[in-house]
Amino acid sequence: MRIEVEGPEKAGNEGYVELFNSILLDLGITRHVEAAKFIIKPSEPLFLVSVKTRLAAGKIRINDIAEVTKTKAGTFINITDENYAPSLLSLLWRMYGRERIEQLSRLEVLCKGIEEDEILELVIDRGEEMKKKILDALWRLLPEGFKIRYELSSESVITIAATEYEMKKEWKELANKLHKEMEELDVQSTAF
Amino acid sequence: MFKVLLFDGGVYRVNELYELVEDLGGFIIQKTQSHTSILVTLVIPEEVREEVEKKSIELGAKLVDIPLGGTEIAVVAPTLGRHHMPHPVCDIAEHLRRYGAITVVMGLARGKGRRSAQISAVEKALINEYDAAVFVLGNFEDCIRNEKVRLFEDIDVPVVVACGPEIKDLPNCKAVVSGVRRRVDRMRRAEEIAKLEEIAKEVSRVVEERRKIIDEDPLFVHPAEIKQRIDELPPVQKSLRPAPVVLHLDGLRVKIPYCEWKTELESMNVYGRKLGEIAQLTDSKLDGSTLIKIFTTSKVASLSLKRGREPSDLQTNAFAKV
Repeated sequence: MRIEVEGPEKAGNEGYVELFNSILLDLGITRHVEAAKFIIKPSEPLFLVSVKTRLAAGKIRINDIAEVTKTKAGTFINITDENYAPSLLSLLWRMYGRERIEQLSRLEVLCKGIEEDEILELVIDRGEEMKKKILDALWRLLPEGFKIRYELSSESVITIAATEYEMKKEWKELANKLHKEMEELDVQSTAF
Repeated sequence: MFKVLLFDGGVYRVNELYELVEDLGGFIIQKTQSHTSILVTLVIPEEVREEVEKKSIELGAKLVDIPLGGTEIAVVAPTLGRHHMPHPVCDIAEHLRRYGAITVVMGLARGKGRRSAQISAVEKALINEYDAAVFVLGNFEDCIRNEKVRLFEDIDVPVVVACGPEIKDLPNCKAVVSGVRRRVDRMRRAEEIAKLEEIAKEVSRVVEERRKIIDEDPLFVHPAEIKQRIDELPPVQKSLRPAPVVLHLDGLRVKIPYCEWKTELESMNVYGRKLGEIAQLTDSKLDGSTLIKIFTTSKVASLSLKRGREPSDLQTNAFAKV
């Protein structure tokens, strides 16, 4: 992973690189991030960050993360990989509504009146999952008071510009430029 | 001058230590027993330390200096959000406890951001109730020097700032410790623990300075003497709050409601005087607590003269014994 920081203070820049690394480690997504670039201007104030991720290919089938059994009350799901528990639950709620999906315990779900085969056909998108985790990492990284944000997202790059009061036009342009630069970046062959 | 020490030993014959401390004009502040071992926080006049040390060796125990013993310190973060809590704020608070302080972690309501960072009058008043405050700030000098300094502008108690950039000094603060950056994990590596030590030493230095200023015109009684009397009050004995009576450099915090116990506290006898005559009792900003600020000997003397009492009565205070 390559991280580049543009900022006026060396100690502050190093601090943010260290912080970003710890956050990625905490979320277990270090190897999914290919490159990141921060542009920090404390006196403006502006915090611009762009992250390029490795494409998370493929979809996850329910069988890979849970055991599905048919019972009298309905189809019973025992989630074996808890990392996917929130995504599976939200997918089930979205598909069948809260009335038919009952969460019995942290990792046990009962689907009332839904066939086992129908459940087994569901898939979770890995790319979406990764995007959520990257956003979570960026949310933890950005200074808390910088609530005014301008966000750009494409298949493999997420860029966020954050400031305190007003998002200036030139900062948006800078964010667009950085986003494009990151999209075109070939990490394997180019260095920053 | 009184010294706060920690006795780390066993329960066997520990009563002998209690008696010795009492005979030498000292006080026991806290006892924490675990099976057969016991930690006793005690206050003794500096001059008699050797005798207490001799007794500790005789009992097979250690007598450790706790420079922040008998103090209550606030560790302040810009907010309670995960960007500022729990690390390194809680690590600092925990490390100060090892030096004997009672610490309180506090997050400001609107301390986030740069220009928008602010502190309310109530928050300032609350911080002023403590003996010292440690402000834990961010990574950029520009933000700290130009904006965040406003957070500790009108704080009366000594302020120590812990922050990332190398800053030598800041206005309105007694010490700055650099190299404490924003982080999401514990400070457990050797260099990080050294940084915690540095903060604790700076806080100890600042507190010691304040102790010396107080000693120039000493308090009428040592706070530990009042604590002994307050400990006997039924609401204090029944209190489930941790450390219901906390010592300050110039008084105490008693965690019982001021409005309910004001009269009883004020009429408490301290060397033939009422507590209300030798100290100021106020309602603490911390819910359900009473703050006691002990007057200096000279202030009690002048108040006595005003009331028509003989100032020679003052010789009956604890400091007269030393």
